[in-house]
Amino acid sequence: MDWTTIFQLIISGLAMGAIYALVALGFVLIYNAVGIVNFAQGEFIMVPAFFGITALVTWHLPFPLAYLLVLVGMAIFGLVFELIAYYPLRHRSFLPVVISTIGASILLKNTSQLIWGAIPLRFPGLFEAQTLNVSGVRIGFQHLLILAVTLILIGLQYLLFEKTLLGKKMQATAQDKQTARLMGIPINQMIAITFIYSALLGGVAALLVAPIVNVTKDMGSLIALKAFSSSIVGGFGSIPGAILGGLFVGVIEALAGSYVSSAYTDAVAFVILIAVLLVRPQGIFGERISEKA
Amino acid sequence: MKVVLILLFLALAVAAPIVVVSDYWHNLMVLAVVYAIATLGLNFTLGLTGQLSLAQAAFWGIGAYTSALITVRYEVPFWIGLPAAAAVAALFGVMLGFPSFKLSGHYLAMTTIGFGIIVRLVLQNWQELTGGADGIGGIPAPSLGVLDVDNNFKYYYFALAFLLILALVAYKIQHSRAGRAFQAIRENEMAAEATGVNTNRYKLIAFLFSALYGGIAGSLYAHSAGYISPDTFSFDQSVVFMVMLVLGGSGSIPGTLIGATLLTFLPEWLRFLKSSYMAVYGAGVMFMMIFFPTGLWGLLEMIYGKLTRRPVEVLSPLEKTEEATAAKSPVETRKSS
Repeated sequence: MDWTTIFQLIISGLAMGAIYALVALGFVLIYNAVGIVNFAQGEFIMVPAFFGITALVTWHLPFPLAYLLVLVGMAIFGLVFELIAYYPLRHRSFLPVVISTIGASILLKNTSQLIWGAIPLRFPGLFEAQTLNVSGVRIGFQHLLILAVTLILIGLQYLLFEKTLLGKKMQATAQDKQTARLMGIPINQMIAITFIYSALLGGVAALLVAPIVNVTKDMGSLIALKAFSSSIVGGFGSIPGAILGGLFVGVIEALAGSYVSSAYTDAVAFVILIAVLLVRPQGIFGERISEKA
Repeated sequence: MKVVLILLFLALAVAAPIVVVSDYWHNLMVLAVVYAIATLGLNFTLGLTGQLSLAQAAFWGIGAYTSALITVRYEVPFWIGLPAAAAVAALFGVMLGFPSFKLSGHYLAMTTIGFGIIVRLVLQNWQELTGGADGIGGIPAPSLGVLDVDNNFKYYYFALAFLLILALVAYKIQHSRAGRAFQAIRENEMAAEATGVNTNRYKLIAFLFSALYGGIAGSLYAHSAGYISPDTFSFDQSVVFMVMLVLGGSGSIPGTLIGATLLTFLPEWLRFLKSSYMAVYGAGVMFMMIFFPTGLWGLLEMIYGKLTRRPVEVLSPLEKTEEATAAKSPVETRKSS
């Protein structure tokens, strides 16, 4: 237990936690808007990672252009996803929609495998394996980048929701669809925008995390499940809850993976989840209990 | 009419392995029966009680490993392995039932997913107990005294007998006081509680039966395959069970059986699509949900109702409208930031 190692673990845990937080935000925004947990959220990371591989490796595009293309691609993807997997089912209860998103997830994973193959691919990063040395503590540039971008994104999102008319319309739609409609807000458009925004968050998360993991058709599944548990740990439906929950799970996971058992790293998020649900179902930072009997 | 249909299905089930003479297809038929039993189990929680459980593959795995471990390590016969598998799985089922007192919907789903992932990680990493990623081999075939059930053809009829008994039991439960209590919880938990249904107790019972069926299916699977490894009992398999249930017809026993059988064979029928068959499968699931949310059985009932000009009331959790759900859980009124 020396402090340098612990510090390094906390930084890498925070970085992974930031990814969980971004994906958890994607979950929460869609959930708030339509009351549905999107089980294909993991594919919102997997698809842009493959888009990025095509742009960077196959087409040899420079980073800024490739990143831009991936994000544009994700905006279109989010819209198409909403039109196919959600829109036709918008008047149904949550189970058919959940299953429809599971179907979408199977479809996306296997289509990706058809296009990009089954072999894990390496995603070129901005800074290979460079690290920053701060008095003995080695911090990966990629980890710093993840943290910086996530922080900026959260700030921008705050401005979007609190300071712009579009953000207010989206919030109104999430709070009460009927009333929002009466106020003249085109709620179907707002829901579509929410899906697009959620896909964009996935796109950013993918560009950040893909260089430090292998890109496969299953890369998103576990990240999404952990992100979802993070959002519940933080307090489901709450935006600060999703962010703090993600960071919390990321750090605990990194520490437990190193000090408790590396084989059970992937179980950590769910152990935390089950413990939190049993003791405090509304989540650590939760404001209100929903779906509670 | 109903009796005729059941006899027809039964005749089809009995004749199938005689008509199709191929060990490969016999193996698939055994698998279809095993899946049908596991899916019948899921029908108790998800179909009847409306508790979204995504841990059925974990119960299936617990059953398979329990049965395999005690028959291989202690050389006890299948007839001890099977009840042990059912009992251990049921125990875990009750354990997982407790969170359902406090949680429902997505929260419960997530808890069950977490449980499934932890079970799979334990199977994978507890080398001393489970053999780790290598799995367990040499699981003995069951014996019926004079007859060893040692090939897929015999095993199919062996497993089919279990399926018929378990389907009958499930039918009896569904039409008993407990079955009505399950459905009351699904339709409206508060109203059920107000009319004197002990909702917590019945939720536990639903989870118990769900896991019990899963455990029996697991044991039957292990002794048919002869070899098991952790990969089989993944979260994806739980999803497959759920899709089987919902595509067949959630809440209905014939629907469950149709769904399980169809989805076991569907990948085979889609083989001509080569590597793209899983993509088509995913698209098919979406298509079904968009156009036939009550599943195949609901569709058949509707067609039957139209033919006989008798309106059939399809009671399924999938039929509820947005308003009904909104009234039940205040998800629409949540604050977003």
